[in-house]
Amino acid sequence: MGDEDDAKEYRWETGYEKTWEAIKEDDEGFLEASVADIIQKAKRKRQALKQGSQKLGMMRHLYLILDCSDSMSSQDLKPTRLLCTLKLLEIFIEEFFDQNPISQIGIIIMHNKRAEKISDLAGNGRKHIKYVNTLNQTSLIGEPSLQNGLEMALSSLKLLPSHASREILVIMGSLTTCDPGDINVTIENLKQEGIRCSIIGLAAEVHVCRYLAKETGGTYNVILDDSHFKDLLFEQVDPPPAAGCLESSLIKMGFPHQINVEGSEEPLTMCMCHVDSTSEGSKLTTGGYYCPQCFSKYCELPVECRACGLTLVSAPHLARSYHHLFPAANYTEINFDKQVALCFACQRQFGESDKQIYECPKCKKNILHRL
Amino acid sequence: MSTSMEDVLLQIPQVRYKKSDGTLFLMNQRLIWMVENRDTVAVSHPYADIKSQKISPEGKAKVQLQVVLHNGVSSTFHFINKNGLQSQLADRDKVKEMLQTLLPKFKRKVDRELEEKNKLLSSNPALLQLYKDLVMTEVVSSEEFWSQHAQQYTQKQKQQPQDIGVSGAFLADIKPQTDGCNGLKYNLTSDIIECIFKTYPAVKKKYTDNVPSKLTEAQFWTKFFQSHYFHRDRKYAETKDIFTECGKIDDQEMKKDIQKGVDDPLVNLTEFEDNSLDEGYGIATEKVTNNTGTVSQAMIKRFNQHSIMVLKATKDKTTETSVSNGTGKNSPEKQEGPVNKKQRILEKITYDDLEDTDENTNKSAGQLNLSKVERYLHGPTPDSTTEFLNPNEVSSVLRGVLQETKHWTYKHPPNNLVTPAAAVGALGELSPGGALMRGFQEQSLAQLVPPDIEKEVRNLYLALCELLSHFWKCFPITNSTSEAKLLKMHDALHRFHTAKLKPFEDKLIRELSPLSHHLTKHLNQLLNAAYQKFNNWQKIKGR
Repeated sequence: MGDEDDAKEYRWETGYEKTWEAIKEDDEGFLEASVADIIQKAKRKRQALKQGSQKLGMMRHLYLILDCSDSMSSQDLKPTRLLCTLKLLEIFIEEFFDQNPISQIGIIIMHNKRAEKISDLAGNGRKHIKYVNTLNQTSLIGEPSLQNGLEMALSSLKLLPSHASREILVIMGSLTTCDPGDINVTIENLKQEGIRCSIIGLAAEVHVCRYLAKETGGTYNVILDDSHFKDLLFEQVDPPPAAGCLESSLIKMGFPHQINVEGSEEPLTMCMCHVDSTSEGSKLTTGGYYCPQCFSKYCELPVECRACGLTLVSAPHLARSYHHLFPAANYTEINFDKQVALCFACQRQFGESDKQIYECPKCKKNILHRL
Repeated sequence: MSTSMEDVLLQIPQVRYKKSDGTLFLMNQRLIWMVENRDTVAVSHPYADIKSQKISPEGKAKVQLQVVLHNGVSSTFHFINKNGLQSQLADRDKVKEMLQTLLPKFKRKVDRELEEKNKLLSSNPALLQLYKDLVMTEVVSSEEFWSQHAQQYTQKQKQQPQDIGVSGAFLADIKPQTDGCNGLKYNLTSDIIECIFKTYPAVKKKYTDNVPSKLTEAQFWTKFFQSHYFHRDRKYAETKDIFTECGKIDDQEMKKDIQKGVDDPLVNLTEFEDNSLDEGYGIATEKVTNNTGTVSQAMIKRFNQHSIMVLKATKDKTTETSVSNGTGKNSPEKQEGPVNKKQRILEKITYDDLEDTDENTNKSAGQLNLSKVERYLHGPTPDSTTEFLNPNEVSSVLRGVLQETKHWTYKHPPNNLVTPAAAVGALGELSPGGALMRGFQEQSLAQLVPPDIEKEVRNLYLALCELLSHFWKCFPITNSTSEAKLLKMHDALHRFHTAKLKPFEDKLIRELSPLSHHLTKHLNQLLNAAYQKFNNWQKIKGR
């Protein structure tokens, strides 16, 4: 540790390092290599578990419960835990809506022994990213209250129809929680409603979090460093197996066509998505998506029609949700034994540093470097 | 008396009103005056209507009290007690004091609602706009507006404030600040006060007893911090302040708890011992000595007491809720006693990680039964005849293509250029305003619309969106209430059409003739879709 400081001056002078963007491949930092190893192994294990014929909860309604208490101002993740978390959450939200276009996210924060709802369940990624950016300014005071946060999410998730997959993701930086009542009662309620709670701990493993995750069928992990944090977040992007109480039902959806006919005959219309926003109101334009039931116009999909409540999606959105049901087959890992000189994909030679190489399970011929 | 349902709070005879004598009664909800020896009430003023009261100044011969109503009407009562000026003054003062206590109760209710509504309207411009469009033009009545359309705003205020837990260190967190001259300043927030009341119910009782009658709040808290109850060494037998009782109550509670003991069969508090390693790895039991001084014993006692009370503060809440949820829970718990114990012992001797991981349970959770997987992997293919080529044909086609490409040479200069005239024509069509660039025309058309018209259109969209959302929510019709609501919304839509949309269209035709039908065509389309749905429903119902 002392060497690192001398080489790069003091920690505070180097600003903050984006270790999640540039994974260093150097000899120093023995810890980094082993952490990366651990992450890689966990990823492989997860991918191996993904089978094709499982029912998945696709219409996901996820509440992000973020810890905004004292402990989030600690600087073990650069620059502070909170800022690192917010940056990763932006990336996470984008990826989440990319992989699950018909899902919705809501955000709740816990601080000062209370829970505060920052944004309601909605399917618009950009709005959520904007809210996450404003969280920079929250005051980090007091202790978090896990029970209040869970109760707030529960009260909103209870009202959803039974075909929706209900999930909560808690990012807990503190080792304590200060609750007004018995949290076991809350955990029972969550279990009954079939809400799957996953927790990512930033400090150390806490028994109550482990119990909560086990009872509700979620996952609980504690991060090792920020790249591990990113990996754990992205683990949550894949749709989880459907909960036992998930009922299959027919869902009414609308597939609007984009009407963009040129010519001066088309009327000028306003969109309903911006009609009451104070910053940028609707503009008169000709193009847009028209709801097939009530003809209100929207700028982009997927969206829930404000007037008639119909979910409007386009076919590629559904197709994107589909491909989770048919995952690609995994490569099998074999030890490097000089079977082939060149990698099939990048045509580079195999070196001494490649101890594991991957082979196609079907034809057993095409051998690759690393994933 | 006819008004038998009300209680008479005060009765003053010999009061003159408008030149006739009678009796003044102060009831629960209102103030009445009856003429002497008659049964009918001549004057009745509900307290909610009364804005203020006035009394005649001291020294005047006539002792009078005037009641001013909100609508400006005022009534004057003249006290003419025959026993003289003093009794008249006494009568009047009695009435005045009673009114002073009663009026504020009624006044606040009426004003508060209006105030809230005004505040909501002023802080939310969108809501204000909706209000203007819908209520002022009588499309929707005011009560309907507040109950349905403004619901999300009004509900924000009705949210119950959250309960907060009590952290163990809340007293330590108060952190006194010295204010220069040997004094200490304690910053008390409402959270800390709530925590103190929850943990020490005795202090809460003292608070309700003494404030605001005997001490002000600031004085109460100063005494609290000064009292030895709060401080480390409690020698409360010596000083006498209001908190000595609290100390005694706390001690009694502690004794009760110790006697009750812990319910857990696996925990035996009395047999706790410290076993430390002795020489040669034997076990040495520490002899319990009673040498610990009374000061540290007192402190340990304080710590234990504080922790027990903090824990009790949360437990009380959950026992309340569980009692309200189901009282039948107590009996099954007792039967589970021995089962519970066995389960817990089993838990302690097994490790989850070492057991078989539950991969099998994953498989049982929802298997997909897909009959033809290929159907999901390809999109719908049109039913055209697909050509099938056999390998011979394929190789002959390949040979043909190779032959063709052999004849391709680099031609220099390439002689299939377009003519200059055609090129200029193409450029013209591709520039803005040309035949191929029609899209820009709409954008310029949109810019032609003046901003105030655009704003009006936007407000129309906003109001219409609100009405339509309630309209469409009624479907599917399940019971008579939703049917009634549907009819109401349908009428509201019609009214909106006539009251707001048509005048706007007329205005447009007058002012901006080329754009008029463009701007409102979509709004009409929205309304027509709704009417269509309603007519369909009526037809189905009529069958």
